[in-house]
Amino acid sequence: MLTLSNVEVKYAGVILVLRGVSLQVPEGKIVALLGSNGAGKTTTLKAISGLLRTELGEVTAGSIEFCGGRIDRVDPEQIARQGIIQVMEGRKVLKHLTVEENLRLGGYIRPAAEVRSDMEMVYAYFPRLREKRTAVTGYLSGGEQQMALIGRAMMARPRLMLLDEPSMGLAPLIVAEIYAIIQRLAAEEGATILLVEQNARAALRISDYAYVMENGRVVLDGPSAALAENEDIREFYLGMGKLGERKNFREVKTYKRRKRWL
Amino acid sequence: MLVISGMMNGAIYGLVALGFVLVYKASAVLNFAQGYMLLFGAYLFWFFRVTVGLPLVLAMIAAVAAGFAGGALIERLTLRRLIGQPLISMVTVTIFLSLVLEGLVSMIWGTYPLQHVAAFPESTIRLGKMVLTTQSLIAFGLALLAAGALIVFFRFTRIGLAMRGVAEGHQIMQSMGISVRRILNVSWGLAGVAATVGGILLGSTLGFQLGMSHIGLLAIPAAFIGGLESPEGAILGGLLIGLIESIVSGYVGNAAGVPAAFVVLILTMLVRPYGFFGLERIERV
Ligand SMILES: Nc1ncnc2c1ncn2[C@@H]1O[C@H](COP(=O)(O)OP(=O)(O)OP(=O)(O)O)[C@@H](O)[C@H]1O
Ligand SMILES: [Mg+2]
Repeated sequence: MLTLSNVEVKYAGVILVLRGVSLQVPEGKIVALLGSNGAGKTTTLKAISGLLRTELGEVTAGSIEFCGGRIDRVDPEQIARQGIIQVMEGRKVLKHLTVEENLRLGGYIRPAAEVRSDMEMVYAYFPRLREKRTAVTGYLSGGEQQMALIGRAMMARPRLMLLDEPSMGLAPLIVAEIYAIIQRLAAEEGATILLVEQNARAALRISDYAYVMENGRVVLDGPSAALAENEDIREFYLGMGKLGERKNFREVKTYKRRKRWL
Repeated sequence: MLVISGMMNGAIYGLVALGFVLVYKASAVLNFAQGYMLLFGAYLFWFFRVTVGLPLVLAMIAAVAAGFAGGALIERLTLRRLIGQPLISMVTVTIFLSLVLEGLVSMIWGTYPLQHVAAFPESTIRLGKMVLTTQSLIAFGLALLAAGALIVFFRFTRIGLAMRGVAEGHQIMQSMGISVRRILNVSWGLAGVAATVGGILLGSTLGFQLGMSHIGLLAIPAAFIGGLESPEGAILGGLLIGLIESIVSGYVGNAAGVPAAFVVLILTMLVRPYGFFGLERIERV
C-alpha cells in the first residue's frame, strides 16, 4: 500500500536527515518503526504525510508511493484527503477546543452526514472521550489527550494511519489501554498503521513487521516476532542485556525530552 | 447623553475590532489596515448608493459583498505569499497597505468629504431629557446585529470551527486535510465585511470623509483591551472605547477624546498585557 524507496530528506536544503530509507506498509498490517532519539523516525512520517514541507524539509531523492501514485511532491492537505492521517508526536491537540470539536475537525474532510456516526464509533472505542466530550481538551490528562488525538485521526477514516509515539510520557497502564485499542482497530476495522515508537517492547508485541532506524538509515528489519528474539534488539531496545541496561540508564538520564525507554 | 452616544460609536468600533480579532486569531497578524478597509468599504457603499443609484438595501449588500471579496483578495495577493515569513514583514505589509488603500480612495473619489447620504430615516426621539436620532439608533442596532451574526458564525458553524482550529496551529489543521489558506482567506473576507459594515454605519451618521480611517483606528485599542483573541471581548472593548472617547470629549474637549482612548489602551497593556478577555493560556503536558 505504501512504499518508500531510498528516500533522502534534507531540512533547509543542507541538513541531511534521511539517508536512503526504504520500507513498505502492506494493507491491513501494523508496521512498527523503531529507533532512538534523532534517528529520523518522525522525519520519515512527515515525509510521508507531506508535513515536512511546512518545516522547510524536502524529499531530495527517492520516491514515496501510496496506492500506486507518487505522493512525495503533494501538499499535506491533499495527502490527508487521499487517506493518510498522521497523529503527531507531542500531543498536538487543539487545546482550547472541546473534545467533540477536536473530533469534528478530524472529520472535516468527510461527508457531513457521516460525521455523527463516526463520532459514535470513536466513542465506542474510547468511552472516556464520551464522558469528556464537552471538556476543554487542554485540561485532559495526557492519556485522554492521546486518545482524543487517535480518535480525531479515526474521524477522517484514514486508509493509512501514521502514529508517532503514542506511548510517550504515559503510565504503563494507559499505554496498555491505548495499545489494546490500536490492536482492536487493526483487527476490527482492518486499519493499516505505521507505528513509530521508542517503546520497542509494546510496539513489537502488536505489530506484524518492524524496521529499526539509526542515523537516518534502516539498519534492521523483519517480522516483529523474530525481531523480539534478536540479540541486538534485546540488548539495546528491550534493555535485557547486562551491558544494555547500564547504557540505557545513562542515556535515559541525559535525555532532555521525557521519553520512556523500556 | 454622552453615555448613549458613546455606546453608539462604541458598537461600531466593536464591530470593526471584531474583524481585527478574527484575522489576528487565525493568523497572528495585526492588521493595521483595518481602519482603511473601513474607509474603502464606506466609499464603496457610497459608490453603489450614489453613483450607481442602487436602492439602500441593495447598495449595502453590494458593498458588503465587495468588502468580503476585497478582504479575501488582500489575503490572496499579499499575506498568502508571506506564510512562514517573519511576522514583522506581514505587519509591515498591512501598514503600507493602509497607505495604498487611502491613496486609492483619494485617487478615485478625491480628498474632500463626499455628498451626504441619508442612509436611514432622519428623525429624533425624545427620551425624557435626551434626544436621540433614529439614525444613530438604527446604526447602533445594525452594528450589534452584524457583530452578533459574526460571532454566531464563528462559534457555531463548520467554517467557524475550522477558523478556531486554525487559530491554534496551522500544521495540526493541515494534518487533518484542512486547507489553512482557504480558512485564512475566509477570515480576511469576514474582516472586510466587518470593516465595510462599520464604514457604512459611520459614514451615514458622521459623513463620508477620509478622516473615517482614524475612527477605524480606534478599533485597534478596542481589540487590544478586549484581549485580541476574544470576539466578545472585542465588542465590549469597542463599547468601552466609545464611552471613554465620548465622555472625555464631552467634559475635556473634542480633541482629547481620541488620545484618551489610546491612553486607556496603554494603561490596559501595562496592567494586563493580554487584555481583559485574552485567552487563558493552557500550559500543561
Ligand atoms: N525542522 C527541522 N529542521 C532541522 N532539523 C531537523 C528538523 N526536524 C528534525 N531535525 C533533525 O533531524 C534529525 C531527526 O529528527 P527526528 O525528529 O526525525 O527524530 P526522531 O527519530 O523522531 O527522534 P525522537 O525519538 O526524539 O522523536 C534530528 O537530528 C533533528 O535534529
Ligand atoms: Mg520523533
